[in-house]
Amino acid sequence: MIRAIYAVVVLDLKRAWLDRIRLAVGLLQPLLYLFVLGSGLGSSSNLAGNYRPYIFPGVLGLSLLFAAVFSAITIVFDRQVGFFKAVLVAPLPRPAIAFGKIAAGAIQSFTQGLIILPFAPLAGVPLSLHAFVGLVGAMLLAAMTFSAMGVAVAARFTSTTVFPVVSNAVLLPMFFLSGALYPLRTTPHWMQIAAHFDPVAYAVDLMRGEVLSTPGSMVTSAHVPQFFFPPLLSIAVLVGVIAVLAGSAVKTFNRGEDDSSLGAARFNWRR
Amino acid sequence: MSSPASNAAPFPAVAVRGLVKRYGTVEALQGIDLTVNPGEMFALLGPNGAGKTTLFSILATLRTPTEGSAAVLGHDVVSARDAVRKAMGIVFQEPAIEQRLTGRDNLHLMGLFFGLSRAAAHQRAAELLERLGLSDCADRPAKTLSGGQRRKLELARALVTDPGILFLDEATLGLDVDARRMFWGQVCGFTSTGRTVFFTTHYMEEAEVADRIALIDAGQIVALDTPRALKARVGGGVTRLQTEDDSRARVWLTERGFTPEAPGKELMLVHADPAGLLPEILRNLPVKVQRVEVHEPSLEDVFLKLTGRGLAAEIGAAPAGGGRGR
Repeated sequence: MIRAIYAVVVLDLKRAWLDRIRLAVGLLQPLLYLFVLGSGLGSSSNLAGNYRPYIFPGVLGLSLLFAAVFSAITIVFDRQVGFFKAVLVAPLPRPAIAFGKIAAGAIQSFTQGLIILPFAPLAGVPLSLHAFVGLVGAMLLAAMTFSAMGVAVAARFTSTTVFPVVSNAVLLPMFFLSGALYPLRTTPHWMQIAAHFDPVAYAVDLMRGEVLSTPGSMVTSAHVPQFFFPPLLSIAVLVGVIAVLAGSAVKTFNRGEDDSSLGAARFNWRR
Repeated sequence: MSSPASNAAPFPAVAVRGLVKRYGTVEALQGIDLTVNPGEMFALLGPNGAGKTTLFSILATLRTPTEGSAAVLGHDVVSARDAVRKAMGIVFQEPAIEQRLTGRDNLHLMGLFFGLSRAAAHQRAAELLERLGLSDCADRPAKTLSGGQRRKLELARALVTDPGILFLDEATLGLDVDARRMFWGQVCGFTSTGRTVFFTTHYMEEAEVADRIALIDAGQIVALDTPRALKARVGGGVTRLQTEDDSRARVWLTERGFTPEAPGKELMLVHADPAGLLPEILRNLPVKVQRVEVHEPSLEDVFLKLTGRGLAAEIGAAPAGGGRGR
């Protein structure tokens, strides 16, 4: 099983290495959010100068999320060109395919997140060693969750033209509801309720709590308590989400090429 | 590497019983029974949409049967999927190698997929590249290889496990004659060690090398025999006539007890002794004959005789559906 997961991960990372330019380009969007949107919105927010440090974990979440889901597109592409059949006819346990794909996506996503960390001081986030370790842990969990989301959804698609459209339609609302760009505590009640159903919200909240735990950060601000969700709840929710989505991906891979039972007749996705 | 297949194998290489596959209301396979013997070179022929690819994907564990059962080297394709996957190699009509990675990387990864250690996978990759004459281009991205080399790489990928049975689904589609000959040379080397090959093709001369051929049409096996026995079903020889007025000629021939068929812009006549028959027809036929051809029956003729339709005919909206891409 470990060897099988390793094989799937090696395949994906070898290919990701060919696309390493993505890491550099993937840096642009978060920096844009951090320094342009951050400066613009910060001046009109009651967080004022603390706005940029506030959204730093949110922007981190954004880049983890998009990098993870984007790397899952290889599954759709492989299905479209037929390469995925070679994976499916190999005697790999289907859970190994699912976990290998999730792990490979999480590694790519985490790497993308890591190269944003050096910008923390520029964004006004002083990181203590303690907060750094906590943040990296939270980032790993977030990367796994987002990658599991990408894999579970991508496993059901065969068209590289449809998948990005659908995933964007799902990702943006999840990002906006996550409290990445504004404190959930001050949002309307319905948004706070909706956030409880948004895995991205738990992931962002966990990372933010770690960032804000550094002494001298804006943790003193009465508007922004350290965590919106209890951290243990966040961890439990994220682990649960990973388990459920991995299970869903395993189920889909178990069907092989068979779309007759996938509901493809109802949803025209896979055509 | 051990050789999992031998002539003493207690199981048929492929055993298919009452196999039905439905996609919604479409019945792509309508009760297939088939036994392929170990060491046999077995061909499956049929027009597009006849159900070949569906049958292949079921044997390859990529789809599950709606009814009936199928076993590969004694392993059930549903309950013993992993055993089937370990025992077979398969070449698909679509490319199933990662085009951006090198041939060596592709084979190495496949080795890991099949549970080899890193060292064993490296060794196996090098061995196969050498054997298939790909060593020189093994370290170039697969997309830069020629069509023939890429197909050989596909074959190498299928052989990574040292399989007891090799499935080839239109494996030579789009290759030129030389590349096809080379490819089949490699495949024949594989069967000479007592392993089974189960293949589909659109090229009739490729099917001729099979020990036995199953003709499939609209989800059913319409005939299963050796190439020679299949051709004997047509009997004697085939005469093809083009006349000024085919329909009149057809009526005239029918009145004289022949059974002409009109597959296209010509009449086809099967007779035990075409050479003896022809002078009489030419002398007496009331319409002017433009062209005559007499030949041994081909597999194409057999299929035509059995189904009333040509093999190569592209049947876009095949009634049975379930062709490639499903």
